[in-house]
Amino acid sequence: MADNTIAGEHIVAPATADDDVMRVEHIAKRFGPTVALRDVNLHLRKGEVLGLLGDNGAGKSTLIKILCGFQKQDSGTMWCKGENYAPKSVDDARKRGVDTVFQDLALINELSVYHNLFLRREKVTKPIPFLSNALMKREARKALDQIGINIPRIDVPVARLSGGQRQAIAVARTISGDADIILLDEPLAAMGAKEGAMILDLIERLKNEGNVSIIMILHNYVHVLTACDRVNLIQDGVISLDKPAAETSVEELTEIVVEEYRRARQEANVGNGAGAPAAPQQSET
Amino acid sequence: MATASDKTVATAPPPKGPAESWAKRGGALSLAQRFLTMREGSIIVVTVVTFVYFSLSSDRFLTTSSLQALLPFFAPFAIMAAGEVFVMINGEIDLSVGAVYLFTPFIFYKLNVDVGLPLIPAMIGALVVSCLVGLFNGLVVSTVGISSFVTTLGTLFTLDGLTLIISHASQVTAPGTSVVSVPTFAQIFGGGTYSELFWAIGITIVLQVILSLSRWGIYTVSVGGNRLGAAEAGVRTRRVLTGNFVMCALLAGFVGILEAVRSSSITPDPSGSNDILFQVISAAVIGGTLLQGGSGTVVGAFIGAIFLGILRDGLIIKGVSANYFLFYLGLAVLLAMAFNTYVSRVRTGSGRGG
Repeated sequence: MADNTIAGEHIVAPATADDDVMRVEHIAKRFGPTVALRDVNLHLRKGEVLGLLGDNGAGKSTLIKILCGFQKQDSGTMWCKGENYAPKSVDDARKRGVDTVFQDLALINELSVYHNLFLRREKVTKPIPFLSNALMKREARKALDQIGINIPRIDVPVARLSGGQRQAIAVARTISGDADIILLDEPLAAMGAKEGAMILDLIERLKNEGNVSIIMILHNYVHVLTACDRVNLIQDGVISLDKPAAETSVEELTEIVVEEYRRARQEANVGNGAGAPAAPQQSET
Repeated sequence: MATASDKTVATAPPPKGPAESWAKRGGALSLAQRFLTMREGSIIVVTVVTFVYFSLSSDRFLTTSSLQALLPFFAPFAIMAAGEVFVMINGEIDLSVGAVYLFTPFIFYKLNVDVGLPLIPAMIGALVVSCLVGLFNGLVVSTVGISSFVTTLGTLFTLDGLTLIISHASQVTAPGTSVVSVPTFAQIFGGGTYSELFWAIGITIVLQVILSLSRWGIYTVSVGGNRLGAAEAGVRTRRVLTGNFVMCALLAGFVGILEAVRSSSITPDPSGSNDILFQVISAAVIGGTLLQGGSGTVVGAFIGAIFLGILRDGLIIKGVSANYFLFYLGLAVLLAMAFNTYVSRVRTGSGRGG
């Protein structure tokens, strides 16, 4: 293939706004023979909540993992708050104010709730750096109260908590840091309706305070349209739609995704019928 | 199961009423249960029972000389197990500790006798070599990604072979020791009656503090509990893994020198060193450190080593055939494993493994 586009598809061109806190252009990433991202252009404005939609395997999580410094893109450039952004590690990204809630939550079952909350940001005594557990417990309690998460005991291992509580801890860990760009990979995945509403409220509150900018992967279109300012749709490793949430609808989003499915099936059929090799299927991890 | 319900009562939002009445009903029982579900609790009980049994059944067991004779049966294992515990909490295993134990004293000997370095620099040089072995193990496991079982098995045989090659399979006299007296160097590093005991206690305390009260301890648990999650949270998992392999090898090498000085001879005996390896791992497992990673205790391994020492010493004093020792050792490992698995389920709730 001369270029990496597939006939008939739409790729959102690089766009900018004056108040962008993050901008990425032409990001590509492959894992061996599998292409996860082909050409991703995306920008995030200050105080904005950007919803990232897409089917399983479209490349959403890969994009988040590149943005947060956990993986490195093969090509493409990123900027963060006007400066070139090439994080070497998650820690490095955190120093630039970018923090993440991972899909798998990155919680350590064997550690207590407050140790998990402070993982990599532990409070230690001086001059000998012992953990100051009392201080961490107090601050963990304060942070959880502020967010409005009710965890009866914070000195038990997180293995004892319910799925929703674990998710809440993971979100609390990221929010209670001093990040101003927050990446959330399916923050509502393991949550019941009530807990989910609590997290959405929390995001609403952060949005109203206007200090943090958020990129959030969600599956539920209704949630996306209520919680986000703008929606980006990832299909086959590119962003194919970029619209303010107010200008799109559940119907439109559904139609686009179904359309993609039909096109893929048609291509597969044509390929088989002509006996020619089909276009490489972009199935990702 | 009563313990599990006790914990859930305590976790429930209004903890006052039911918890208090529960405590009134069975305070002593609850205390006993809490003690037993403490990671080191069960092994303490078993060790005390074994100790009392031998004290009562043989009047030669509870004597100063007998107890002094007990020391070399456990102090070396306690020190080596302390390092192994960190590797095992990482979810890995270091099979090369026995080989490092065998190899390091010969480097010490070569540096002192052949190169002509004074005792202390020669010892430091030998310990640096054992650290390099740990560094190799750690880097291969963490960076290349070969399983630690295979990696350290390879290191084990390589070092055993190297030891036989450089020693020409013959025993030498340990530097810094003397047949007529115990010089200061030997007094400190293994030759003094209580030298190894003091080292064991000191190292156990320091490492337990590092494990429970330092960032390194938290990262060690994180890497063993959820390696991907730890990496995502920003823990430098490779550095933690490698560091623990280095520490484990360093302690093994150090014990090798202590034991060489204590016995004032260095013997190239790979089968003996492999026996030591198995006892080190047994001490760690009996002490409550499971191989699945994410949890473990240095103090537990120390007590596990004492238990093994008492068992071996007691059986010898009672004149029981040495063959029984391995039999009891096997039973102890199996029972400890079963009990600790149960205890860890009670502690973390039925959340995993179910």
